[in-house]
Amino acid sequence: MKRLIILTVLAAGLCRTAGAQDTAVIYGTLADTIGQPLRGTVRVDSGGRGVVADGRGHYRLGVPAGRVILRVAHIGFRTLVDTVTVAAGDSLERDYRLPAAAVELQPTIVTAAKRSQLLDRAVTSVALVSDTDLAHRAVATVDEAVNRAPGVLFLNGQVNIRGSSGFVEGLGSRVLLLVDGVPANQGDRGGIDWDMVPLAQVQRVEVVKGAGSSLYGSSAFGGVVNLITHDIPVGSHARVRATGGAYANPPADAWRFRDYTGGLGGLDVTGSYGTQALRGSLTLGGRHSDGYREQDRSDQWETAGKAEWLPQPGTRVSASGAWTSHQYEVFPTWCVPGACDTRGQAFQPFMIDRSGRGSYTRSDHGYIAATLDRTPSARFAWQARGSWLRTHFTDFNPDDWSVSNRLGAELRGVVRRSGGDDRVVTLGVEGAHSDVTSDIFGDRGQVGDHSQVELGAYGEAEQLVGPARLTAGTRLDYFSVDGAKQTAVLSPRIGAVLPTGAGTWRASAGRGFRAPTLAERFVTTRAFGFDVIDNPDLDPETAWSFEVGNALPLASWGRLDAALFWTEARRLLEPTFVLVPPDTVPKIQIRNVSRARLRGLDASLTITPFASPVSASVAYTFVDARDLATDSLLAFRPKHLLTLAADYRWRAVSVGADFRYTSRIDRIELEPVFGHDPRVAARVLDLRAGWQRRSLSARLLVTNALNYIYNLVPRTLEPVRTASVVLTWTY
Amino acid sequence: MIAGMRNRVAYAALVTAALACNEGLQPDTCPGICGTVTFRGALPDSTQAVYVVAYHTFPHSRDSLFTFQPSVGLLRALPLDGVPAFYALPVNTGRYEWVVAVWVKQGFNLSNADSTLREAGYYRDPANPAQPGVVNVSAPQPDSIDFVIDFGQMHRPCTYYAPPCP
Repeated sequence: MKRLIILTVLAAGLCRTAGAQDTAVIYGTLADTIGQPLRGTVRVDSGGRGVVADGRGHYRLGVPAGRVILRVAHIGFRTLVDTVTVAAGDSLERDYRLPAAAVELQPTIVTAAKRSQLLDRAVTSVALVSDTDLAHRAVATVDEAVNRAPGVLFLNGQVNIRGSSGFVEGLGSRVLLLVDGVPANQGDRGGIDWDMVPLAQVQRVEVVKGAGSSLYGSSAFGGVVNLITHDIPVGSHARVRATGGAYANPPADAWRFRDYTGGLGGLDVTGSYGTQALRGSLTLGGRHSDGYREQDRSDQWETAGKAEWLPQPGTRVSASGAWTSHQYEVFPTWCVPGACDTRGQAFQPFMIDRSGRGSYTRSDHGYIAATLDRTPSARFAWQARGSWLRTHFTDFNPDDWSVSNRLGAELRGVVRRSGGDDRVVTLGVEGAHSDVTSDIFGDRGQVGDHSQVELGAYGEAEQLVGPARLTAGTRLDYFSVDGAKQTAVLSPRIGAVLPTGAGTWRASAGRGFRAPTLAERFVTTRAFGFDVIDNPDLDPETAWSFEVGNALPLASWGRLDAALFWTEARRLLEPTFVLVPPDTVPKIQIRNVSRARLRGLDASLTITPFASPVSASVAYTFVDARDLATDSLLAFRPKHLLTLAADYRWRAVSVGADFRYTSRIDRIELEPVFGHDPRVAARVLDLRAGWQRRSLSARLLVTNALNYIYNLVPRTLEPVRTASVVLTWTY
Repeated sequence: MIAGMRNRVAYAALVTAALACNEGLQPDTCPGICGTVTFRGALPDSTQAVYVVAYHTFPHSRDSLFTFQPSVGLLRALPLDGVPAFYALPVNTGRYEWVVAVWVKQGFNLSNADSTLREAGYYRDPANPAQPGVVNVSAPQPDSIDFVIDFGQMHRPCTYYAPPCP
């Protein structure tokens, strides 16, 4: 027995000796740039080991022998990443001086991996529009907020991320909209109602660029936009926001179309009450606009609510919903000679084609969603959700209508090994049923009923390998249209993130797809003077997206993020002229026609000097979009998109400006019809000023301050100079 | 002090540059004669292009056939997709006796004009639609010189010569 004990002790000693030979020690001090000790952390970047420095800034850390990446951090100071090589059994002294930083807390995002993660750990590019951005810019609608994100461009309400969507009159979106993670694209047209959620409810926006179908399925072809609504605070709170403003008159007398100055205004009220266990908020609002052009008035009423119940730690039940009623006159296209009295002008951008006089739409839409989040342990969390999205529109001149529903459900689990983040697995199943009843989805004016079922299962794993994080996952989607046409699509994605001394590198390759919407398959209507005919046999469009990017912190004053992207798209759904015998006039039909390649550069520089009243940002996107089938430019993809922003704050006062340049769109669809129309590059300058004192704030916003007159889609004028004042009272 | 002044100068230059770059859409008066043409009949397979041109005086001979305005370099072919098309002729002020659509056959050249050009429709006198309408181009310019192009009713140029071709 004694012999056994001696053997055991010897074996343990040998093991310890062998282990010591594989490890080393790094020691030293942490201090700020003037030598004051810091009780910061030093940890091996690959996850495991870390220590906290003592009160004199001394630390001592055991590390694996060899090449080690250390991350040195202290809140309020810039994080340093250091790469050292240390031999087994050796020790190495490293002293660190951390420069102060305004904010070194990394943003946490929830969209790129369908779970919480640090921004720098996302394998694809993510742009954020923070609550500060929303407040500074005093925007009134969600699309105005999203339009400020780098690499994002709206073409008459249709969102493009790195040139993803082009412009197809809202028939299908290659970007998926989420509201707190719940898909919110229309069930019939697949487009996005940007007024679905009042902006007052939105706390921040996450824009994930590139194909996201491996987690989100259809529509996440070119990216995902997630609107994150406000958390409800404990206690009683309220906010009242009033907006009033005016549109500039046309800059030339020849373009005047009314004898008064158009105005706009709105009021929204939000109230919330919360205890530790139960919370709720409600927003009511309304807006009116005279519009900036002929036949452009709109009135909107909106309401949104959210409730949360937290019965026990780790459990949250939430329910949310919104309803918007929007009545608006429709500006069909601007008029040219022969279509109205142009007063001798070659075109009248503020006046409408007389054939569209009286066009008017009433659009009612909303959603309700319920979510159960459970985190039973640090290793496992799951979420179940259900949602119902309903859209209903009625058009007058031409008279048509549509009612659609989209019922969705999802069950998702996230497993973390040892409760940490060195291995994370996300698994889920998702289903949706969309239906539409409409007089433009039937045969020649008849009322048609159609439905589509979508089922998807997905899984993605993230594994820490040395300093790198590797991600691999896939999703299988199954579609059935009217219970007949069935399609299955597999969407894999791999990615990697590697922190280095020269920034954090990321790379990803993933497949995106978009199933044809019910509208693209079945719509029969008239557009641009042509009949639009149905095509029930459409197939999903698919794409492979590749990206390599780097996020580089710049001392204590900024952050540079740049990415090269490349997308190869197949069977793109595009409107096409077809001649159906015996007709002699062509008709428009959506077809799987194009092979396309979109590649380019997406870069942004954010400058936020520590303790400086000035902040600025520059974002630039270059897109080379080619239609490979016809060896021509892809329509509606401007090559260059540049955004400059600067803000200055002095005590309670702030001023700022945004400048946005969009290069001239070189090619449009329906070139024979609109090809001779003038097109120019867009140069839009927005100015803003704000004042805040206690619970009151006032903001002056002048959008398109130069009153630059331009259009991005055919014969559709973009907004003119608009001056508005926003008064906010917060309790 | 000097550095501060430089900053202000640079700032002012930046603002000025930003303000000076307004090259958006500008009012564009009709450059001469404008209107909308509508189409009838089937477009011949041998079509090369269709243009709208204007004559100060009616071309009653082969010699005056090419005295139209605008000059050849400013001619823009009409879209031929069957939908009504807007046209704009950049012509000088003055009186125009004939605003006419000219169909051009594939293989056209100056020597075979009589057989490869056709009158496909023209602006008609509102008071007497059997006759060509006279257009006076002055300020404000006319913008509704509308007429029909009928591919089933085209005529050779010599139809209008004096004497006309057989």
